[in-house]
Amino acid sequence: MKPYTLQRHLGNFGRTVILLVFLLLVILPIYWMFITSFKTNAEIINAQQITYFPREITTENYVQLFKLYDYKGMLTNSLVVSVSTGLCITLLSILGGYGLARYTFKGKDAMLLFFLVTQMIPGILVIIPLYVIFAKLGMINTRLSLFFFYLITNLPFCVITMRSFFERIPYTLEEAAYVDGCSKLTTLVRIVLPVMFPGIVAVFVFAFIGAWNELIAGTIFINTADLWTIPVGLKSLIGKYDVKWGVLMAGGVCALLPTAIMFAFMQKFVVEGLTAGAVKE
Amino acid sequence: MGILALYIIGVAAACALGMMFIRRHTKGRPTTYSNLSARRKAEPYLFLLPTMLLLLLMFGYPLINSFIMAFQNYKLTAPSKIRFNGLENFQKLFSETDIWLIIKNSFIYVVVSVSGQFLLGMTLAMALNKQFPFRGLYQALVFLPWSFSAFVIGLMHRWSFNGEYGVVNDLLMKLHLIGSKIAWLGTPGFSLAVVIMAMIWMGIPFFAIMILAALQSIPADVYEASYIDGCGPIRRFTKITLPYIKPTVIITILLRTIWIFNSFDLIVVITNGGPANYSQTLPSYMYTKAFASYDFGLASALGVLLMTVLILYVTLFLKATNYNKAGNFS
Repeated sequence: MKPYTLQRHLGNFGRTVILLVFLLLVILPIYWMFITSFKTNAEIINAQQITYFPREITTENYVQLFKLYDYKGMLTNSLVVSVSTGLCITLLSILGGYGLARYTFKGKDAMLLFFLVTQMIPGILVIIPLYVIFAKLGMINTRLSLFFFYLITNLPFCVITMRSFFERIPYTLEEAAYVDGCSKLTTLVRIVLPVMFPGIVAVFVFAFIGAWNELIAGTIFINTADLWTIPVGLKSLIGKYDVKWGVLMAGGVCALLPTAIMFAFMQKFVVEGLTAGAVKE
Repeated sequence: MGILALYIIGVAAACALGMMFIRRHTKGRPTTYSNLSARRKAEPYLFLLPTMLLLLLMFGYPLINSFIMAFQNYKLTAPSKIRFNGLENFQKLFSETDIWLIIKNSFIYVVVSVSGQFLLGMTLAMALNKQFPFRGLYQALVFLPWSFSAFVIGLMHRWSFNGEYGVVNDLLMKLHLIGSKIAWLGTPGFSLAVVIMAMIWMGIPFFAIMILAALQSIPADVYEASYIDGCGPIRRFTKITLPYIKPTVIITILLRTIWIFNSFDLIVVITNGGPANYSQTLPSYMYTKAFASYDFGLASALGVLLMTVLILYVTLFLKATNYNKAGNFS
């Protein structure tokens, strides 16, 4: 494509500029949060002179976060709820996704439509009656209520995602196993799941992040500080008149770290999972 | 607690029974065809049983409940006065003073957020659709906001747009674009704009990921053929790229519209609807109504209305775009 050289150079230049702008757009807010978390409170609320790098680097915000506001407790609650939700959803999606991918059966379309409808429902419309039901069962203010809520809100998407992963694996692979005398379950566990590893990781990450990041249901179902998840606990630091910005930013950094690390390492699988259903190759 | 325990045991037992059934009936190779088909008929239901059971009990059943509540005088503070009141909740809803402002806000919030995310996401995806050094690392960084919680993103923006100590005011003043500090979150119009900016920031990666995948699935030989035929870059974009990515774009816009419309954690964190409902949308209003006054009837009525609008929107959208894979939504 020699005649286009000038055009291509211009194109490459434009692309580089665009890529840089997007990178700055993503990094600047994160940078701002990050450095605020290392400033002293006096420096943070000095409206006359806003500093773009801390004059004095301090970890007092992080110390306060753990000592004064029991961040360890929040972390434990978030971990317990997110991991159990993630594991349970992964298991159920493997079963459901396999059923949807490998069989045609009566009511399949209705089932898919039901899954689709669950995605359209304003979450709060389910939270309200669930609140009443949980209250009757004595489940308000337990981690179990959050577990169930995150389970049902993330399950439909995960089942559908898992289904598209199964659909990419040729059925002949399973057939070969049957011919060799494997049972259905053995085939699924020994032959299909190992090939499915990216899909399984992706679904677990979806469910984990979905539960880890949720705020609204947390504020409604949980009302004592010892059971707060991270977002709920941090939200309580936003007072009416006084906002502890330094501590909040430290909390924000700590809340982002696990999911960001997860995403950075599993990016390939996650991206594959997100696009598995929508883009047919 | 008793019912719950029973329920959990039920689900577990169903799972176990299903597994046992599948094991027992699928050992070895199927011998006769009729045997195979009868067995295969039950199998998919067993695989989907736990999921469906959970969803029907904890999604379907509450949903029916809220449809009933919508026509009831249901206040948690007065449990003895719960009774049907016809359409009273809906009437009350439309007589609220700010309801039209809130409807307008919701509309602006959804339309601007979706189009912003789409245009910027598309730009990013097009820029990424070519090999360059450190592309993997670049993608990992630029897609990172996808994994962030709305709560933390809200915090970041609330802090950056803080009227007194915020970095945005400081930057704008240093660039001499504004003369004095602006109270972004306390000014009607600006407060909603900040929420929308945060929402766009949060959603660009998702659009970019989806569109990039679609772009990469376009076979290279189609482009090669167009080069040979002397097709210019604009024609190439409108005649090849757009038609190829159209299905993905349609489904992504559809899903995101619904998701953005329903999500309001950013609003709760950044402005809490303020000042005076100027950044309130219908779902965030519903949340405030439900858990400030415990008027579940009114909130459910609003929810039912929202759901109807969304289902209508989906139907019309799919019709208008000739998309026929409604069940295939992921």
